[in-house]
Amino acid sequence: MTESTTAGTPAPPVEELLGVENTGATLGRDPFTELADPDPFVERLDRLQIVAPRGRARRARREQPLRELPPVEPVHRTGKHETFTPNARSRWAATPTLAEIDLDESKGLVDYLLSDHERRVLAGLAQLVEGEVPYDRYGFSPETAKRSFPIFLALYRYYFRVVSEGHANVPMEGPAILVANHGGLLPFDAAMGVIDIAVHSDPPRLVRAIVDRWAGALPWVNIFYARVGQVIGTRKNFADLLNDGQLVLVFPEGMDGARKTITQRYRVQNFRVGFIEQSLRERAPIVPVAFVGSDDQTPILYNIKPLAKRLGLPIVPITPTFPLLGPLGLLPYPVSYKIVYGEPLNFHERFGPEGADDPRLVRYLANQVRRSVQQLLDKNRS
Amino acid sequence: MTNVLVSHADEPIGRRVVKALFHDKEVASILAVGDGPPPRSFDRYLGGSEPRVHYSRVDLAKHRPASDLFHSASFRSAEIDTVVHIPRHGAAASESAPIVSGLPERTAETRLILQNCLETGSIRNLVALGSAFVYRLVPGNANRLDEDCELDLDPDVAPDIRSWIDCDMIFHGEVHNDRMRVVLLRVPTVVASGGYVYFNPSLVGRPGPRVRALGYDPICALVSDKDVARAVVNAVQSETSGIFNIAGTEAVPLSVLARWTRRTALPIPGPLLGWYTAGARLVGAETHQAADGPHLRYGFTLDTSRAERYLAFRPSDRIGLARAGDGAMRLETASV
Repeated sequence: MTESTTAGTPAPPVEELLGVENTGATLGRDPFTELADPDPFVERLDRLQIVAPRGRARRARREQPLRELPPVEPVHRTGKHETFTPNARSRWAATPTLAEIDLDESKGLVDYLLSDHERRVLAGLAQLVEGEVPYDRYGFSPETAKRSFPIFLALYRYYFRVVSEGHANVPMEGPAILVANHGGLLPFDAAMGVIDIAVHSDPPRLVRAIVDRWAGALPWVNIFYARVGQVIGTRKNFADLLNDGQLVLVFPEGMDGARKTITQRYRVQNFRVGFIEQSLRERAPIVPVAFVGSDDQTPILYNIKPLAKRLGLPIVPITPTFPLLGPLGLLPYPVSYKIVYGEPLNFHERFGPEGADDPRLVRYLANQVRRSVQQLLDKNRS
Repeated sequence: MTNVLVSHADEPIGRRVVKALFHDKEVASILAVGDGPPPRSFDRYLGGSEPRVHYSRVDLAKHRPASDLFHSASFRSAEIDTVVHIPRHGAAASESAPIVSGLPERTAETRLILQNCLETGSIRNLVALGSAFVYRLVPGNANRLDEDCELDLDPDVAPDIRSWIDCDMIFHGEVHNDRMRVVLLRVPTVVASGGYVYFNPSLVGRPGPRVRALGYDPICALVSDKDVARAVVNAVQSETSGIFNIAGTEAVPLSVLARWTRRTALPIPGPLLGWYTAGARLVGAETHQAADGPHLRYGFTLDTSRAERYLAFRPSDRIGLARAGDGAMRLETASV
């Protein structure tokens, strides 16, 4: 009686598709780090033009720039996502556009800080909550979002001076996964991404950033995250969000991205693979996103790992201002952000939900997304 | 046509279930059982020359009265084939739970009812209400739980929740019984018009101050008492057995729910919660809420897709605030 996963067009097994036997001998292998012997499974995948060809040696690979990615055929270029048939309710389709939203004549204090466009965005987000109570089932509160919106909008415009491009690559309706690089100690990159999508989408979309489980145990932080629409990253939550047709932002690097030292900045770390599984199962496109600037907001000179382990913290950093200035030293520097949305990757159309059960394929596709994010970063850093 | 026995029919959800079953044409007769005198709302059911509802005052948590009921001539003549077990949840549940045969009253009652249902041989269906607070909660406010999520088997779990888990596992063990169909409905916080709240270990009991963990405000999934009654009727009519989550559309934070139900949730630092409960008990104060535990920190909502699929259950009540007669804003439920 277990609820079945999303049904879709049955795809042939990966082995059948490729015409080779998947022995799993090199399970979880990272194409960034190459093996000496060529693997027929990976070679066949390469011929499908999903990934760039493999390199030669591990050490040489580290020093060489990433190879050019063969273009994945874009599914849409108009901003209107037409190839995907969401299995979600029609709630998102029913969301009114900004022009259709009537603003209240009565203004509160917050309303005076916002333009009419931004007030319409907030009103549109408030309509995403079902039912009679002002909270959705993940704890999102439009009222809290309205109060915190001006603060983050000010950070977006005047502190981080965010510029962004490629919004046409973000589906305006239906589920999608935004996969981005993670940097900086505090997750301002996620906040800027949420604001950027909210002010550039019509009808407005609320980005649900997936946060680490340990953040849910932090007093007050867990409340704030929930009220502004962020969700703890369990598989069930992830699947339900996509099934609801929502836009999900993930940082597959996890804490490895946040605790990168200054020598590793803008080097995308290893990706977790859960988002690929969810993408295939829930038939959601993946949009690679590059946050340029997040790695500069808090340059970490050194991570005192033994102390972090002893204190049970993910990181004990030394930065130019921490611990010199105390907790204030952890605040981000006013670096300028650039957010770039890449072309969507529709792995689900090629492999189907059954592909999620092949750990080797899933790892391979995760590395492919990682490569896309890295290339977006390299291209836009200059 | 079925003949149904409803336990704790004198309590709020029991009354609602009896009313829903009374209006169900597939139910021939109802034997309502409760601890107290028959509720006044039953007057219209109990009157007439051949009433469809009969009321019996029996304490099902005690072995002798329960055995006498299930093996009585009147029980046999009524040809009861379905038992709806609704655990104690009303005002009486707020008093210190008595221990029966070394077990919490709720657990002892559940065991006795199941045992008697199996011994009687004529019972074909057993529908029971359980609590959704049995699930193990991980940090976070948005735990979306389905029936396959693991239960909180931590030995340090609060006694109130422990008894719910025990009851859950007792029924779970009989789900695959060939002779009797067992349906367990796990419900989250049940609310009723007027600001009444049941089944929530933090808010159970009479209005008044409560405590919650400082820095946490867990999301509470809600369901109206009318939707619970509808789910029970659907479970009685269905042919399936198993465990099903039952919940409504709405979810609110604990602090808001407390305010809406005329309670005040005082934030207390987590390490002091246990001390608070022990101190309150020392001075003789009524402490019926579960002292501490993940439910005071982490919220959850329920995935009801299985109930929708197999029991055809969909919440039809919306829960919100409305102005009561005294001018205060109260939690109300209304059908869509």
